[in-house]
Amino acid sequence: MTTPQAEIEDLIARTAMGDRAAFRLLYDRTAAKLFGVCLRVLNDRGLAEEALQDVYCKIWARAGQYRVNGFSPMTWLITLARNAAIDRRRRRDAGARARVAPIDAAELVADPAPGPAQQAESRSEAQALMSCMSELPPERAEMVRRAYLEGATYAELSDATGVKLNTVRTWLRRSLMQLRECLSR
Amino acid sequence: MSGPEDTDLPGGWEAAAAEYVLGLLPEDELRAFEARLSQDRDLQQDVEAWSEYFAALTDPVEAVAPPPQLLRRIEDRLFGRKRPSVWQQILPYLLGAVAAAAIAWAAMFSGLLDFRNKPDLWADLETPSRGLVLLAHYAPESQTFMMQRDAGDYPAGRSLEIWMIPEEGDTPISLGLVAEDGLTQIPMPQQLAEAMDGAAIAISEEEPGGSPTGVAQGPILSIAQMAPRDE
Repeated sequence: MTTPQAEIEDLIARTAMGDRAAFRLLYDRTAAKLFGVCLRVLNDRGLAEEALQDVYCKIWARAGQYRVNGFSPMTWLITLARNAAIDRRRRRDAGARARVAPIDAAELVADPAPGPAQQAESRSEAQALMSCMSELPPERAEMVRRAYLEGATYAELSDATGVKLNTVRTWLRRSLMQLRECLSR
Repeated sequence: MSGPEDTDLPGGWEAAAAEYVLGLLPEDELRAFEARLSQDRDLQQDVEAWSEYFAALTDPVEAVAPPPQLLRRIEDRLFGRKRPSVWQQILPYLLGAVAAAAIAWAAMFSGLLDFRNKPDLWADLETPSRGLVLLAHYAPESQTFMMQRDAGDYPAGRSLEIWMIPEEGDTPISLGLVAEDGLTQIPMPQQLAEAMDGAAIAISEEEPGGSPTGVAQGPILSIAQMAPRDE
Protein backbone atom coordinates (compact mmCIF):
# COMPACT_ATOMS: atom_id res chain seq x y z
CA MET A 1 0.00 0.00 0.00
CA THR A 2 1.32 3.41 -0.91
CA THR A 3 -0.33 5.76 1.59
CA PRO A 4 -1.80 5.30 5.07
CA GLN A 5 -5.12 6.46 3.61
CA ALA A 6 -5.07 3.72 0.95
CA GLU A 7 -4.09 1.19 3.59
CA ILE A 8 -7.02 2.11 5.85
CA GLU A 9 -9.38 2.02 2.87
CA ASP A 10 -8.14 -1.44 1.96
CA LEU A 11 -8.54 -2.65 5.55
CA ILE A 12 -12.11 -1.33 5.65
CA ALA A 13 -12.86 -3.10 2.36
CA ARG A 14 -11.40 -6.36 3.65
CA THR A 15 -13.33 -5.99 6.89
CA ALA A 16 -16.48 -5.68 4.80
CA MET A 17 -15.51 -9.00 3.23
CA GLY A 18 -15.51 -10.60 6.68
CA ASP A 19 -11.71 -10.72 6.98
CA ARG A 20 -11.08 -10.87 10.72
CA ALA A 21 -7.32 -10.44 10.40
CA ALA A 22 -7.89 -7.20 8.48
CA PHE A 23 -10.37 -6.08 11.15
CA ARG A 24 -7.75 -6.66 13.82
CA LEU A 25 -5.18 -4.72 11.81
CA LEU A 26 -7.67 -1.90 11.32
CA TYR A 27 -8.16 -1.86 15.10
CA ASP A 28 -4.39 -1.74 15.65
CA ARG A 29 -4.04 1.21 13.29
CA THR A 30 -7.00 3.28 14.46
CA ALA A 31 -8.14 2.33 17.99
CA ALA A 32 -5.89 4.79 19.85
CA LYS A 33 -7.16 7.77 17.87
CA LEU A 34 -10.80 6.68 18.18
CA PHE A 35 -10.34 5.98 21.90
CA GLY A 36 -8.96 9.51 22.25
CA VAL A 37 -12.07 10.87 20.55
CA CYS A 38 -14.39 8.82 22.84
CA LEU A 39 -12.47 10.05 25.90
CA ARG A 40 -12.71 13.64 24.70
CA VAL A 41 -16.50 13.38 24.30
CA LEU A 42 -17.23 11.37 27.44
CA ASN A 43 -14.44 12.39 29.81
CA ASP A 44 -14.91 9.02 31.54
CA ARG A 45 -12.65 6.03 30.91
CA GLY A 46 -15.19 3.31 31.63
CA LEU A 47 -17.81 4.83 29.36
CA ALA A 48 -15.21 5.56 26.68
CA GLU A 49 -14.21 1.87 26.71
CA GLU A 50 -17.82 0.86 26.22
CA ALA A 51 -18.25 3.42 23.46
CA LEU A 52 -15.13 2.11 21.72
CA GLN A 53 -16.63 -1.39 21.73
CA ASP A 54 -19.79 0.04 20.15
CA VAL A 55 -17.64 1.75 17.54
CA TYR A 56 -15.80 -1.36 16.38
CA CYS A 57 -18.97 -3.46 16.36
CA LYS A 58 -20.46 -0.80 14.08
CA ILE A 59 -17.35 -0.75 11.92
CA TRP A 60 -17.58 -4.53 11.50
CA ALA A 61 -21.27 -4.38 10.63
CA ARG A 62 -21.17 -1.32 8.42
CA ALA A 63 -17.83 -1.60 6.64
CA GLY A 64 -19.70 -2.58 3.48
CA GLN A 65 -21.46 0.77 3.53
CA TYR A 66 -18.24 2.75 3.50
CA ARG A 67 -17.77 4.45 0.15
CA VAL A 68 -14.59 5.91 -1.13
CA ASN A 69 -15.72 9.48 -1.74
CA GLY A 70 -12.44 11.30 -1.99
CA PHE A 71 -12.50 12.18 1.69
CA SER A 72 -10.30 10.61 4.30
CA PRO A 73 -11.40 7.17 5.54
CA MET A 74 -10.44 8.44 9.00
CA THR A 75 -13.34 10.86 8.74
CA TRP A 76 -15.74 7.95 8.42
CA LEU A 77 -14.19 6.24 11.45
CA ILE A 78 -13.98 9.42 13.54
CA THR A 79 -17.62 10.26 12.74
CA LEU A 80 -18.71 6.77 13.87
CA ALA A 81 -16.65 7.14 17.08
CA ARG A 82 -17.88 10.65 17.82
CA ASN A 83 -21.52 9.65 17.26
CA ALA A 84 -21.24 6.47 19.33
CA ALA A 85 -19.66 8.42 22.19
CA ILE A 86 -22.35 11.09 22.03
CA ASP A 87 -25.06 8.39 22.10
CA ARG A 88 -23.49 7.06 25.31
CA ARG A 89 -23.19 10.55 26.72
CA ARG A 90 -26.82 11.42 26.03
CA ARG A 91 -27.98 8.12 27.49
CA ARG A 92 -25.95 8.84 30.63
CA ASP A 93 -27.42 12.30 30.94
CA ALA A 94 -30.84 10.75 30.10
CA GLY A 95 -32.75 13.87 29.25
CA ALA A 96 -31.34 15.94 32.05
CA ARG A 97 -29.26 18.82 30.82
CA ALA A 98 -25.63 18.18 31.46
CA ARG A 99 -24.06 20.75 33.69
CA VAL A 100 -22.05 22.89 31.36
CA ALA A 101 -19.15 25.19 31.87
CA PRO A 102 -20.14 28.73 30.99
CA ILE A 103 -18.99 30.17 27.69
CA ASP A 104 -17.70 33.62 28.44
CA ALA A 105 -16.53 35.67 25.49
CA ALA A 106 -14.11 37.62 27.65
CA GLU A 107 -12.29 34.45 28.72
CA LEU A 108 -11.92 32.97 25.29
CA VAL A 109 -8.64 33.65 23.66
CA ALA A 110 -8.41 33.24 19.94
CA ASP A 111 -6.55 30.05 19.03
CA PRO A 112 -2.87 30.68 18.53
CA ALA A 113 -1.79 30.20 14.95
CA PRO A 114 -0.57 26.65 14.46
CA GLY A 115 3.22 26.33 14.34
CA PRO A 116 4.94 25.13 11.18
CA ALA A 117 5.33 21.54 12.39
CA GLN A 118 1.67 21.38 13.33
CA GLN A 119 0.72 22.88 10.00
CA ALA A 120 2.74 20.37 8.06
CA GLU A 121 1.08 17.57 9.98
CA SER A 122 -2.52 18.59 9.75
CA ARG A 123 -4.73 17.98 6.76
CA SER A 124 -5.68 20.78 4.44
CA GLU A 125 -9.30 20.55 5.66
CA ALA A 126 -8.08 21.09 9.20
CA GLN A 127 -6.10 24.16 8.20
CA ALA A 128 -9.05 25.62 6.29
CA LEU A 129 -11.40 24.96 9.19
CA MET A 130 -9.08 26.44 11.80
CA SER A 131 -8.53 29.56 9.76
CA CYS A 132 -12.27 30.01 9.07
CA MET A 133 -13.21 29.30 12.71
CA SER A 134 -10.84 32.06 13.78
CA GLU A 135 -12.91 34.51 11.70
CA LEU A 136 -15.99 33.76 13.86
CA PRO A 137 -16.64 35.56 17.14
CA PRO A 138 -14.76 33.38 19.68
CA GLU A 139 -17.86 32.40 21.67
CA ARG A 140 -19.56 31.13 18.53
CA ALA A 141 -16.54 29.11 17.45
CA GLU A 142 -16.58 27.67 20.97
CA MET A 143 -20.25 26.68 20.54
CA VAL A 144 -19.43 24.77 17.34
CA ARG A 145 -16.56 23.03 19.12
CA ARG A 146 -18.74 22.14 22.14
CA ALA A 147 -21.50 20.80 19.90
CA TYR A 148 -19.11 18.58 17.93
CA LEU A 149 -16.66 17.48 20.61
CA GLU A 150 -19.01 17.28 23.60
CA GLY A 151 -22.37 16.75 21.95
CA ALA A 152 -23.75 19.91 23.53
CA THR A 153 -27.40 20.56 22.63
CA TYR A 154 -28.94 23.98 21.95
CA ALA A 155 -30.45 23.86 25.46
CA GLU A 156 -26.99 23.31 26.93
CA LEU A 157 -25.46 26.02 24.77
CA SER A 158 -28.23 28.33 25.93
CA ASP A 159 -27.36 27.52 29.57
CA ALA A 160 -23.67 27.98 28.90
CA THR A 161 -24.11 31.42 27.36
CA GLY A 162 -27.14 32.68 29.28
CA VAL A 163 -28.77 33.51 25.96
CA LYS A 164 -32.28 32.37 24.98
CA LEU A 165 -32.39 29.13 23.04
CA ASN A 166 -33.90 30.58 19.88
CA THR A 167 -31.37 33.37 19.83
CA VAL A 168 -28.51 30.93 20.30
CA ARG A 169 -29.81 28.93 17.39
CA THR A 170 -30.18 31.95 15.13
CA TRP A 171 -26.64 33.06 15.98
CA LEU A 172 -25.16 29.66 15.44
CA ARG A 173 -26.88 29.13 12.09
CA ARG A 174 -25.60 32.49 10.90
CA SER A 175 -22.12 31.50 12.02
CA LEU A 176 -22.41 28.15 10.24
CA MET A 177 -23.34 29.93 7.02
CA GLN A 178 -20.42 32.28 7.49
CA LEU A 179 -18.20 29.25 8.00
CA ARG A 180 -19.56 27.60 4.87
CA GLU A 181 -18.96 30.71 2.85
CA CYS A 182 -15.40 30.99 4.15
CA LEU A 183 -14.68 27.30 3.52
CA SER A 184 -15.89 27.46 -0.07
CA ARG A 185 -13.60 30.38 -0.87
CA MET B 1 -44.17 20.33 7.08
CA SER B 2 -41.67 21.49 9.59
CA GLY B 3 -38.61 21.77 7.39
CA PRO B 4 -36.20 24.60 8.04
CA GLU B 5 -37.44 26.45 4.94
CA ASP B 6 -40.72 27.21 6.76
CA THR B 7 -39.11 28.93 9.70
CA ASP B 8 -37.52 32.31 10.17
CA LEU B 9 -34.16 30.73 10.90
CA PRO B 10 -31.31 31.87 8.70
CA GLY B 11 -29.47 29.53 6.38
CA GLY B 12 -32.21 27.14 5.21
CA TRP B 13 -31.26 23.57 4.35
CA GLU B 14 -27.57 24.46 4.06
CA ALA B 15 -27.36 25.52 7.69
CA ALA B 16 -29.52 22.51 8.62
CA ALA B 17 -26.89 20.24 7.00
CA ALA B 18 -24.28 21.62 9.41
CA GLU B 19 -26.67 21.32 12.35
CA TYR B 20 -27.36 17.73 11.29
CA VAL B 21 -23.66 16.82 11.39
CA LEU B 22 -23.27 18.60 14.75
CA GLY B 23 -26.30 16.68 16.09
CA LEU B 24 -28.20 19.87 16.84
CA LEU B 25 -31.40 19.37 14.84
CA PRO B 26 -34.56 19.04 16.95
CA GLU B 27 -36.29 15.68 16.46
CA ASP B 28 -39.16 16.80 14.23
CA GLU B 29 -36.80 18.69 11.94
CA LEU B 30 -34.41 15.75 11.96
CA ARG B 31 -37.02 13.52 10.35
CA ALA B 32 -37.87 16.10 7.69
CA PHE B 33 -34.18 16.62 7.04
CA GLU B 34 -33.40 12.93 6.66
CA ALA B 35 -36.35 12.46 4.31
CA ARG B 36 -34.98 15.19 2.09
CA LEU B 37 -31.39 14.03 2.48
CA SER B 38 -32.23 10.64 1.00
CA GLN B 39 -33.20 12.28 -2.30
CA ASP B 40 -31.11 15.44 -2.49
CA ARG B 41 -27.62 14.83 -3.87
CA ASP B 42 -26.48 18.42 -3.14
CA LEU B 43 -27.54 18.08 0.46
CA GLN B 44 -25.69 14.75 0.71
CA GLN B 45 -22.55 16.48 -0.54
CA ASP B 46 -23.02 19.23 2.03
CA VAL B 47 -23.32 16.65 4.80
CA GLU B 48 -20.20 14.84 3.54
CA ALA B 49 -18.24 18.09 3.41
CA TRP B 50 -19.32 19.18 6.90
CA SER B 51 -18.47 15.72 8.25
CA GLU B 52 -14.99 16.05 6.80
CA TYR B 53 -14.43 19.56 8.12
CA PHE B 54 -15.84 18.97 11.60
CA ALA B 55 -13.89 15.70 11.92
CA ALA B 56 -10.82 17.96 11.69
CA LEU B 57 -11.86 19.35 15.10
CA THR B 58 -10.54 16.07 16.50
CA ASP B 59 -7.07 16.63 15.02
CA PRO B 60 -5.74 18.11 18.29
CA VAL B 61 -7.33 15.22 20.24
CA GLU B 62 -4.50 12.99 21.38
CA ALA B 63 -4.47 9.29 20.63
CA VAL B 64 -4.74 7.18 23.78
CA ALA B 65 -3.99 3.46 23.71
CA PRO B 66 -7.09 1.56 24.87
CA PRO B 67 -6.59 -1.21 27.47
CA PRO B 68 -5.20 -4.37 25.83
CA GLN B 69 -8.19 -6.58 26.70
CA LEU B 70 -10.61 -4.35 24.80
CA LEU B 71 -9.99 -5.93 21.40
CA ARG B 72 -10.76 -9.37 22.86
CA ARG B 73 -14.00 -8.05 24.35
CA ILE B 74 -14.97 -6.64 20.97
CA GLU B 75 -14.13 -9.91 19.21
CA ASP B 76 -16.10 -11.86 21.83
CA ARG B 77 -19.05 -9.59 21.26
CA LEU B 78 -18.79 -10.00 17.49
CA PHE B 79 -17.66 -13.58 17.02
CA GLY B 80 -17.79 -15.14 20.49
CA ARG B 81 -20.85 -17.27 20.83
CA LYS B 82 -21.88 -17.04 17.21
CA ARG B 83 -22.34 -20.39 15.49
CA PRO B 84 -20.79 -20.57 12.06
CA SER B 85 -23.25 -19.13 9.61
CA VAL B 86 -25.01 -21.22 7.01
CA TRP B 87 -22.64 -19.75 4.45
CA GLN B 88 -19.58 -20.87 6.33
CA GLN B 89 -21.06 -24.35 6.60
CA ILE B 90 -21.78 -24.68 2.92
CA LEU B 91 -18.63 -22.90 1.81
CA PRO B 92 -16.48 -26.06 1.61
CA TYR B 93 -18.98 -27.56 -0.79
CA LEU B 94 -18.82 -24.49 -2.98
CA LEU B 95 -15.07 -24.09 -3.16
CA GLY B 96 -13.23 -25.23 -6.22
CA ALA B 97 -16.16 -26.00 -8.40
CA VAL B 98 -18.30 -22.97 -7.80
CA ALA B 99 -19.38 -22.49 -11.38
CA ALA B 100 -20.10 -26.16 -12.02
CA ALA B 101 -21.99 -26.51 -8.77
CA ALA B 102 -23.88 -23.34 -9.49
CA ILE B 103 -25.05 -24.59 -12.86
CA ALA B 104 -26.02 -27.96 -11.43
CA TRP B 105 -27.95 -26.40 -8.57
CA ALA B 106 -29.62 -23.93 -10.85
CA ALA B 107 -30.71 -26.76 -13.11
CA MET B 108 -31.93 -28.73 -10.12
CA PHE B 109 -33.85 -25.93 -8.52
CA SER B 110 -34.95 -23.80 -11.43
CA GLY B 111 -38.67 -23.49 -11.66
CA LEU B 112 -39.29 -24.77 -8.16
CA LEU B 113 -39.91 -21.33 -6.75
CA ASP B 114 -41.78 -18.43 -8.19
CA PHE B 115 -39.51 -15.43 -8.53
CA ARG B 116 -41.77 -13.40 -10.75
CA ASN B 117 -42.78 -10.95 -8.03
CA LYS B 118 -39.26 -10.24 -6.93
CA PRO B 119 -37.64 -7.07 -8.23
CA ASP B 120 -34.43 -7.05 -10.23
CA LEU B 121 -31.43 -5.97 -8.18
CA TRP B 122 -28.57 -3.75 -9.23
CA ALA B 123 -25.29 -2.41 -7.95
CA ASP B 124 -22.76 0.04 -9.35
CA LEU B 125 -19.20 -1.07 -8.71
CA GLU B 126 -16.82 1.77 -9.34
CA THR B 127 -13.08 2.04 -8.87
CA PRO B 128 -12.36 5.73 -9.50
CA SER B 129 -8.58 5.31 -9.31
CA ARG B 130 -8.69 2.98 -12.32
CA GLY B 131 -11.67 4.44 -14.14
CA LEU B 132 -13.25 1.01 -13.80
CA VAL B 133 -17.07 0.93 -13.80
CA LEU B 134 -18.93 -2.35 -13.50
CA LEU B 135 -22.67 -2.85 -13.31
CA ALA B 136 -24.01 -5.84 -11.40
CA HIS B 137 -27.52 -7.02 -12.16
CA TYR B 138 -29.47 -9.90 -10.71
CA ALA B 139 -32.58 -11.10 -12.54
CA PRO B 140 -34.71 -13.23 -10.20
CA GLU B 141 -36.85 -14.54 -13.05
CA SER B 142 -33.96 -16.37 -14.67
CA GLN B 143 -32.01 -16.62 -11.40
CA THR B 144 -29.05 -15.16 -13.24
CA PHE B 145 -26.39 -12.85 -11.94
CA MET B 146 -24.91 -10.58 -14.60
CA MET B 147 -21.97 -8.24 -14.70
CA GLN B 148 -21.15 -5.74 -17.36
CA ARG B 149 -18.04 -3.61 -17.72
CA ASP B 150 -19.17 -0.11 -18.63
CA ALA B 151 -15.80 1.64 -18.48
CA GLY B 152 -12.15 0.97 -17.74
CA ASP B 153 -9.72 -1.72 -18.86
CA TYR B 154 -9.56 -5.31 -17.71
CA PRO B 155 -6.25 -5.61 -15.83
CA ALA B 156 -3.69 -7.26 -18.11
CA GLY B 157 -2.68 -10.75 -17.01
CA ARG B 158 -5.00 -10.69 -13.99
CA SER B 159 -8.55 -11.80 -13.24
CA LEU B 160 -11.40 -9.88 -11.65
CA GLU B 161 -13.25 -12.08 -9.19
CA ILE B 162 -16.83 -11.54 -8.04
CA TRP B 163 -17.69 -12.11 -4.38
CA MET B 164 -21.07 -12.19 -2.73
CA ILE B 165 -21.45 -11.26 0.94
CA PRO B 166 -24.94 -12.47 1.83
CA GLU B 167 -25.24 -10.62 5.11
CA GLU B 168 -23.16 -8.27 7.12
CA GLY B 169 -20.27 -10.16 8.62
CA ASP B 170 -20.80 -13.34 6.58
CA THR B 171 -17.93 -15.02 4.81
CA PRO B 172 -17.76 -13.93 1.18
CA ILE B 173 -18.58 -16.51 -1.45
CA SER B 174 -16.90 -16.49 -4.83
CA LEU B 175 -19.40 -16.29 -7.66
CA GLY B 176 -16.80 -16.56 -10.40
CA LEU B 177 -14.79 -14.26 -12.63
CA VAL B 178 -15.76 -11.18 -14.58
CA ALA B 179 -15.57 -12.11 -18.28
CA GLU B 180 -12.82 -10.24 -20.10
CA ASP B 181 -15.21 -9.38 -22.91
CA GLY B 182 -18.94 -9.00 -23.11
CA LEU B 183 -21.57 -9.75 -20.51
CA THR B 184 -20.77 -12.07 -17.62
CA GLN B 185 -23.67 -14.39 -16.82
CA ILE B 186 -23.69 -16.65 -13.80
CA PRO B 187 -26.63 -18.90 -12.93
CA MET B 188 -27.31 -18.74 -9.20
CA PRO B 189 -28.02 -21.71 -6.95
CA GLN B 190 -31.26 -21.49 -4.99
CA GLN B 191 -29.72 -20.77 -1.59
CA LEU B 192 -27.61 -17.93 -2.91
CA ALA B 193 -30.44 -16.57 -5.04
CA GLU B 194 -32.63 -16.23 -1.97
CA ALA B 195 -29.92 -14.32 -0.16
CA MET B 196 -29.23 -11.91 -3.02
CA ASP B 197 -31.69 -9.34 -1.68
CA GLY B 198 -29.62 -7.22 0.70
CA ALA B 199 -26.35 -8.89 -0.19
CA ALA B 200 -23.24 -6.93 -1.07
CA ILE B 201 -21.13 -7.66 -4.12
CA ALA B 202 -17.39 -7.11 -4.13
CA ILE B 203 -14.78 -7.23 -6.85
CA SER B 204 -11.18 -8.22 -6.18
CA GLU B 205 -8.21 -8.45 -8.49
CA GLU B 206 -6.68 -11.92 -8.46
CA GLU B 207 -4.12 -14.03 -10.23
CA PRO B 208 -5.33 -15.42 -13.58
CA GLY B 209 -8.18 -17.86 -12.96
CA GLY B 210 -9.09 -16.36 -9.61
CA SER B 211 -8.00 -16.82 -6.02
CA PRO B 212 -6.83 -20.41 -5.50
CA THR B 213 -7.81 -20.40 -1.83
CA GLY B 214 -11.46 -19.39 -1.90
CA VAL B 215 -10.54 -16.23 -0.03
CA ALA B 216 -9.80 -12.93 -1.76
CA GLN B 217 -6.03 -12.47 -2.07
CA GLY B 218 -5.69 -9.35 -4.18
CA PRO B 219 -6.88 -5.79 -3.58
CA ILE B 220 -10.61 -5.24 -3.17
CA LEU B 221 -11.52 -2.85 -5.96
CA SER B 222 -15.06 -2.03 -4.92
CA ILE B 223 -18.03 -3.12 -2.87
CA ALA B 224 -21.69 -2.22 -3.31
CA GLN B 225 -25.04 -3.30 -1.97
CA MET B 226 -27.51 -4.99 -4.33
CA ALA B 227 -30.76 -3.01 -4.39
CA PRO B 228 -33.84 -2.55 -6.57
CA ARG B 229 -34.02 0.47 -8.87
CA ASP B 230 -36.99 2.73 -9.32
CA GLU B 231 -37.41 2.63 -13.07
